[in-house]
Amino acid sequence: MYKTMAEKILSDKRGADVSTGDTVIVPVDFVFSHDGTMPLAIRQMESGLSTRKVYDPYKVAGVCDHASPSPSEKASNVHIFMRKFAKENKMPYFFENGDGICHQIVVEKFAAPWNIIIGGDSHTCTHGALGAFATGMGSTDIAAIMAYGKTWLRVPESFKIEVTGTLPKHVCSKDVILHTIGEITADGATYMSMEFLGDGVDAMSVESRLTMSNMAIEAGAVTGLCQTDSKVRAFLESHKRGQEYRTLAPDKNATYADEIVVEVEGMEPMIAYPHRVDNVAPVTQFEGVDVDQVCIGSCTNGRMEDIRIAAQILNGKKVAENTRLVVYPASRDILIRAMDEGLIKTLAEAGAAICPPGCGFCIGRTVALGDGEVALSTQNRNFKGRMGNDNAEIYLCSPATAAVSAITGKITDPRDGLRW
Amino acid sequence: MKRKGKILRIFPKDTNTDEIIAGKYKYDELDLEKLAVHTFESIDPLFYADASKTKNPLIVGATNFGCGSSREQAPQVLKTCGISCVIAESFARIFYRNCFNIGLPVIECKDMTKKVAQGDEIVVDFELGIIHNITKKEEYDFKPIPKFMQELLEAGGLMPYLRLHGGYRD
Ligand code: SF4
Repeated sequence: MYKTMAEKILSDKRGADVSTGDTVIVPVDFVFSHDGTMPLAIRQMESGLSTRKVYDPYKVAGVCDHASPSPSEKASNVHIFMRKFAKENKMPYFFENGDGICHQIVVEKFAAPWNIIIGGDSHTCTHGALGAFATGMGSTDIAAIMAYGKTWLRVPESFKIEVTGTLPKHVCSKDVILHTIGEITADGATYMSMEFLGDGVDAMSVESRLTMSNMAIEAGAVTGLCQTDSKVRAFLESHKRGQEYRTLAPDKNATYADEIVVEVEGMEPMIAYPHRVDNVAPVTQFEGVDVDQVCIGSCTNGRMEDIRIAAQILNGKKVAENTRLVVYPASRDILIRAMDEGLIKTLAEAGAAICPPGCGFCIGRTVALGDGEVALSTQNRNFKGRMGNDNAEIYLCSPATAAVSAITGKITDPRDGLRW
Repeated sequence: MKRKGKILRIFPKDTNTDEIIAGKYKYDELDLEKLAVHTFESIDPLFYADASKTKNPLIVGATNFGCGSSREQAPQVLKTCGISCVIAESFARIFYRNCFNIGLPVIECKDMTKKVAQGDEIVVDFELGIIHNITKKEEYDFKPIPKFMQELLEAGGLMPYLRLHGGYRD
């Protein structure tokens, strides 16, 4: 039988051939949750399973990232509750305020090819870029996994996303995934594993691939897998985990439920306009819209290459008077590296507010929008109210488009260097 | 397993978890009985009252039912309202999964919204994968639920299942 990447990983874990539609019980390599979902999962363990004991303290992590640094006494009390649980279970992996966004921490420290990774957060699909079958689940599931180390999964069908060609300058993987979601719509890949293949993906850095896998859920997908290659190996080596590398690729004749070819040669920078992620259009259609707050960060685009491109564009320039720029590096590691490279200085000199690693603006726990304000953000969701205000509008874009627009104070096409 | 009941409502495409239960209540109210009063409040204010008056109410949805945030309160309030089964043309993934975990039967049936009308009496046969429409004297097929998921439903959800078996049986 020819297999997709999802079928390969699940067959490997099950120790038997599985195919689309089968329901399987599989061991989980790593489970994590954060301050938005972990408290409920702990309560579910207590009430549903009468236990607070995790199955293996080395395979469970908790992260304080959604309300971090804590903005309120309520959030601080939630953190106390989580800390206590981690301590009594002797969990070595508990991440504090300012350590970073759960997904970025898992990418750096835990995710590896052929793993099954479950997170109490819908964007857990991010880790597919490293060849892990990774998906988000609700608190009942997280509780069951923390207690038993296993979960049930339905083997998904796969949607092949074949990316071909070379990206033009200042067009990013974010533009590719926005374009793809615009094409297949918000429920176009429901239940499916999105498999990103083609020379366009091979040419991308691991960081760029993470951006695409991160947004697989925005098309309804269970996970978003990429094949592994020398870049993934180098990425793991750079995080001192080279020995965890394994090759993953689909069989040539694997069966896909659907497929789409995305030609990136000559692709324009894209934007998702309010209030749906699949409201996608070229940036040029919205050029000139005034922006109150530009946001660079989140688990979608808060990594080194995103900060690098922002700093490169903003070097020697100033943020426009009518707008604000906020930058949240996705993890402590990224913050430190960005400081070493001088990027933080460049951004601060340009007028950016440099904020501590965490989710920050993405859910409006900090820097919430005011009434009638417009935000341009590198995050993954533009739902009404997402940034803390129902009477605000959110546009999604790449870090290049965000940085350029911070200079002009208006939505601006990053390709035309003369205008900014 | 069989469920007999009356179709209380038919919901359109992309009915989301915010419409099922608004996010604003999720933080303030932990008591499901009290939370359930607000089910579908923003799009269908009479829903709770009508559900309370109906014996074995079922609901039908078009495609992508339960999309949006992964809040488990959404299937929980439906169950608390006494909904015995949700039949939709398709479900959003996390909602679908959450339903089995809390023991609320959900099935997918193609073109369901075109086949039935509000008020129809139906019987759902989970083993055979057949919906009998008693009112219209028709039958519709659906893909039977995998055995493991039926076991979850019979146990009443994931937690009772795990308690019953002391973990996963495999
Ligand atoms: S950065 Fe945004 S999308 Fe990512 S985990 Fe945090 S809140 Fe969720």
